Amino acid sequence: MDFDLNEQQNMLKTMAHDFLINECPKTRVRELEKDAKGYDTSIWSKMVDLGWLGLIFPEQYNGTGADFLDLVVLMEEMGRNILPGPFFSTVALCALPILKFGTETQRRKYLVPIADGKNIWSLALSEKSGKFEASDINTVASIDGNHYVINGEKWFVPFAHVADYLIVACRTGRLESADEGITLLIVRTKSRGVTINVIPSIAGDGLCRVRFKNVKAGRLDVLGKVGKGWKVINYLAQRATVLKCAEVSGACQAVLEMTQAYAKDRKQFDKPIGAFMAIQHKLVDMLTDVEGLQYMVYYSAWLLSTGAKADVYVSMAKAKANDVYQRVCIDGIKIHGAIGFTLDHDIGCYFRRVKAAEFVLGDTDMHLDKVAAGIGL
Amino acid sequence: MEFRFSQKEEKLREDVRNFARAETAGRGIISGMEEESRDEDWGFAMSMSKKLAEKGWLTMAWPKEYGGQGASFFEQHVYIDEASYWGIPGTTMGVSGIGWVGPSLMICGSEEQRKKYLPSIAAGEPDGVWCTGYSEPNAGSDVANIQTSALREGDHYIVNGQKIWTSCAHRARWCWLAARTDPNASKKQHSISLIILDMKSPGITIKPIENYAGIHIFNELFFDNVKVPVMNLVGTENRGWYHLMQSLAFERHSFAPQFYGKGRRTLEFMVKYCNEIRYNGKPLAVNAVTRHKLAERAIELETLKMFGYEITWKMSKGLIPVYEAARNKAYCDFAMQRLAITGTEIIGAYSQVDINYKWSKLLANFTRLYMMFPGLALAGGTGEVQKNIVGQFKLGLPRAY
Ligand SMILES: Cc1cc2nc3c(=O)[nH]c(=O)nc-3n(C[C@H](O)[C@H](O)[C@H](O)COP(=O)(O)OP(=O)(O)OC[C@H]3O[C@@H](n4cnc5c(N)ncnc54)[C@H](O)[C@@H]3O)c2cc1C
Ligand SMILES: Cc1cc2nc3c(=O)[nH]c(=O)nc-3n(C[C@H](O)[C@H](O)[C@H](O)COP(=O)(O)OP(=O)(O)OC[C@H]3O[C@@H](n4cnc5c(N)ncnc54)[C@H](O)[C@@H]3O)c2cc1C
Repeated sequence: MDFDLNEQQNMLKTMAHDFLINECPKTRVRELEKDAKGYDTSIWSKMVDLGWLGLIFPEQYNGTGADFLDLVVLMEEMGRNILPGPFFSTVALCALPILKFGTETQRRKYLVPIADGKNIWSLALSEKSGKFEASDINTVASIDGNHYVINGEKWFVPFAHVADYLIVACRTGRLESADEGITLLIVRTKSRGVTINVIPSIAGDGLCRVRFKNVKAGRLDVLGKVGKGWKVINYLAQRATVLKCAEVSGACQAVLEMTQAYAKDRKQFDKPIGAFMAIQHKLVDMLTDVEGLQYMVYYSAWLLSTGAKADVYVSMAKAKANDVYQRVCIDGIKIHGAIGFTLDHDIGCYFRRVKAAEFVLGDTDMHLDKVAAGIGL
Repeated sequence: MEFRFSQKEEKLREDVRNFARAETAGRGIISGMEEESRDEDWGFAMSMSKKLAEKGWLTMAWPKEYGGQGASFFEQHVYIDEASYWGIPGTTMGVSGIGWVGPSLMICGSEEQRKKYLPSIAAGEPDGVWCTGYSEPNAGSDVANIQTSALREGDHYIVNGQKIWTSCAHRARWCWLAARTDPNASKKQHSISLIILDMKSPGITIKPIENYAGIHIFNELFFDNVKVPVMNLVGTENRGWYHLMQSLAFERHSFAPQFYGKGRRTLEFMVKYCNEIRYNGKPLAVNAVTRHKLAERAIELETLKMFGYEITWKMSKGLIPVYEAARNKAYCDFAMQRLAITGTEIIGAYSQVDINYKWSKLLANFTRLYMMFPGLALAGGTGEVQKNIVGQFKLGLPRAY
């Protein structure tokens, strides 16, 4: 049993921490929330140089061959400093399943440009309901000669407006059971019939609506097996969920630290406000939440990395992340007083991202229900 | 990052499980403190202590020379977790001896004291049962405010005063006593000493206090010129406050694996119940509200598991977990309260049935937990006191009281 990061992870963590603080201060985060692209291409190309995009790819795809836990550590730092951009959608939502389920041709064709920073990807999964449910997949891909023809509408697709490729979850078979008959198709965003609109959102984080009108995809552009797309989704969802939780865990650590520092610094009634027990105990509750979340994330990440069955722990981590992120931000803002309610204060940057993290890859109710099933109910 | 237990540790878990299955089949899970109340429960608990000692588990992390096995903190963790899961009685023997008297004596006791007191604890004998006399009517959270005095006369201390809430005093052979040894000290903390008191000494009166459920856990203790040999002083005279702080950290570090084990089993009982019980023609297990409540309880327990692992890991690296122990105590209390309330809500009206009556559900586990958790949350320091410790020692905030 060992809670410590290894040497390589510690180096990555320190490097990422320093890099993000220098390259992406919160002033830049706020600018990017209003930016048409929503991310900084010069930061992006430096990340490529650092080898982050291909961090966990084998060397033959221009990767650095690190493992999943290293990526968890990196995401934690990205969350701590808030890095806006399509890293999560490209690497967690798309590259991971390509690595696992792609054919050798697909892997060579798609992973190398990802590692080299030439292509951005996203996953077009949720539809009008905004939920993460197989039964909500109504976008249809029908066969026409050598092609699939896609018709439908996807919602809350992260960074589709800057993406080169989308993995689109489509219905190709009869609806015998909800998770049968779903096929994942790789589609170029430039294809004719694809319309992308950015959904104005609290965090300005590039969520899009994507409409498909008679969009063609080749029969070789299937990721995984025809009709078995939900299996791929389940695979990627577990890993991407843990990565999202790691990002949230990092964000929560940052909120705690800034609030703790403020409580020592801010004086009212001739005392630091941290000397008032009402504030101090709130901070202790925040600490307990934050540490508990971090360990749950590490535990589920570690389980996944060993290949053990991890779905229940992943759902526990996500339900907890949703809960803790919200509570820590709310208490953090309250402890800051009115200054925490301002645009110029960093804590708002975190609070604006709570709902984005909460509803990606399953909301609290969905994950609690999975936990319930996991404990035998 | 590695959360696997070793093969040796897994083997131990299996051994404890097999032992528990053979020895405790069909019994409900009662808390360590409840077993001090009724003679038949106490007798059974002590018989189990003896067997656990024979297995080498009771004080397994102690050095061999004092009756332990020199086992690792992780092995001890696995034993505590598994034994608590099965609710094996007799694992604590009134808590004090195994929990902190032994570990404290190994740090600040004399070699003579270790040789005299440790083996009978490790052997699970009635002579190894201890109680702890810290709290007084005017010294609860503010332990430094104790008034009980132990004044030196030749080679004896003469003890006068009163303790209260002393758990297990009615079963104990010895008392781990905090008393004031210097009436003239300028600072309260600088005049306290820890003293080993023979409960058979003349001048001690024990008055039982029943709790609101009629269970006899704690007592009042009165001392009227009780003579204690000076060699029963633990550590340095007037430095007892510092020894005591250390013993409190010992007291708190095992809360997490204890309650995780017990909580997990209790939750499993509840899951089984929800799958069996039908309500409006459907198993209760499909009810969304019930599912979500129990899922939340499971997440709390797993969080507690990680907190427990963290402390054991830190101890195994030679660190002394101070804030972590306080955090875990507070989180245990929280998780215990939520589980108890959820459980009684699901059982509904039947959760009121007397725990000894056949109509009570689920071996009365939830009713028991419900009746016990407020007291368990106070014992060993209240939640507020724990949070004060975390605020000061971890967050570096000024003292807020
Ligand atoms: C939307 C909005 C509109 C406002 N409009 C006006 C306005 O029109 N006119 C105006 O004059 N002001 C206005 N205010 C200011 C408002 O009254 C203050 O924000 C409030 O009194 C708190 O003061 P503070 O922000 O300086 O926080 P602080 O006083 O610094 O408090 C910070 C934290 O410490 C806690 N704290 C402080 N002292 C204690 C204590 N003794 N015990 C326990 N906890 C303590 C607080 O509860 C808080 O959580 C407004 C604020 C907001 C958010
Ligand atoms: C089941 C049980 C078994 C026990 N066994 C033993 C035993 O074996 N030996 C022994 O010595 N004692 C024992 N105790 C006593 C226990 O240690 C005390 O009850 C506990 O320390 C609290 O003290 P008190 O009851 O006097 O409450 P008080 O100290 O009077 O506290 C009352 C309330 O005020 C709060 N409070 C007090 N000070 C502060 C502060 N600084 N900041 C914020 N809040 C504060 C407390 O949190 C609590 O909510 C036992 C208690 C119980 C319930």
